[in-house]
Amino acid sequence: MSVTVRIPQPLRRFTENRDVIELSAGTVGELLEQLERQYPGITERLREPDGQLRRFVNIYVDGEDIRFLSGLATEVRDGTEVSIIPAIAGGSESVLRC
Amino acid sequence: MNREKYSRQILFREIGESGQERLLRSRAIIIGCGALGAAQAEMLARAGVGFLRLVDRDFVEESNLQRQIMFEERDAAERLPKAIACARRIARINADVQTEPVVADVNYKNIERLITDVDVVLDGTDNFETRYLINDACVKHGKPWIYGAAVGSYGLTMTIRPGVTPCLRCVFEKIPPPASSPTCDTAGIILPVILTVASIQVTEALKLLTGSIEKLHGGVIQVDVWETSFHRVSLQKVRERADCPACRHRRFEFLEASLRQSALTLCGRNAVHISGLGDVSLDLREIAERLKPLGEVTLKEFLLVFRVNGYELTLFPDGHCIIKGTEDMALARSLYARYIGI
Repeated sequence: MSVTVRIPQPLRRFTENRDVIELSAGTVGELLEQLERQYPGITERLREPDGQLRRFVNIYVDGEDIRFLSGLATEVRDGTEVSIIPAIAGGSESVLRC
Repeated sequence: MNREKYSRQILFREIGESGQERLLRSRAIIIGCGALGAAQAEMLARAGVGFLRLVDRDFVEESNLQRQIMFEERDAAERLPKAIACARRIARINADVQTEPVVADVNYKNIERLITDVDVVLDGTDNFETRYLINDACVKHGKPWIYGAAVGSYGLTMTIRPGVTPCLRCVFEKIPPPASSPTCDTAGIILPVILTVASIQVTEALKLLTGSIEKLHGGVIQVDVWETSFHRVSLQKVRERADCPACRHRRFEFLEASLRQSALTLCGRNAVHISGLGDVSLDLREIAERLKPLGEVTLKEFLLVFRVNGYELTLFPDGHCIIKGTEDMALARSLYARYIGI
């Protein structure tokens, strides 16, 4: 039983630079918990303190945004591909506003 | 039309002679002429897109040359505004292309005017505030626009056709806070990823301009040139499901935002950017005269440099200013108020 999780480059410093991780879980939420156990700190970048998915990070299950499925309760099964896509700004400026 | 010049592109069946004629009649805007924008400008100019509006608020520096392919050592030495440097190079590349360089900050006052008379909008910006503004204006006026961003060896791009595809706010509901996305100063950036993202953006623009709508990629493309990975997520189902303020409710929050002069720390440059004032055009000569007794003033064709007490202020005609020598935004604001005073 394994689900393929694609890790985007900005998060790979948590995953020893691995871009694809195989995990087994029943839902996206469980998947994130497993990911956190294996790579502590990573899900802080993906979830708000209350556990909700951050609104500038998207998770796609077989190409569908989980916001429009069942969110973190969205089911995953053997062979499912999960992509994590955070928004990136690019450029050399950091956005620090006053 | 000079058929010889475009002969190899005309041989490419998907463009052909009629496509080439359409390109020569087409109008595009590039917002942000840094790494991505300069690469887009070079490709669109060589392809023969007839009109290019080039918008940028910054000037060329030595650290740009590693990845901003339109600029040369002497542009950095002269501190030429990027929009001007781009336009000059395009004039040397392809005389068929008419350019309109705009040295200014993009804001809620000028964005609609900048985009309404073009056929496609290319994103070469480096921040989400400008992108959400572009998104609002493009959704409001039904203009296609092409998001692109790159950091490290990683890039993202997505093509937005208002009313047809999801818009930027359907996909990314909220602006990421400062610490959450790595910027070039923490992650660095290599030119190959810039050229890869810009190539996808320009190919999408060529499809839009020549009418190959069914060939648009229709998703979010993630690419990593170091890992050699290329991945596309389809966005087919997103639009109908997103409760988007911009494209569903036509509420354009970024266009309606009242102008507040903002300050932004330019990390890694020991500098602060102070935004412009919208529709003003300052008399830099007059300001130079006023500042001369207070410090060292250099007046150039498109900007003014003022050095005082270890700080360096570079002022542009629309009022925006880059203040070097500090990353303290309050201090930068007070320097701006004291010396520029507008």
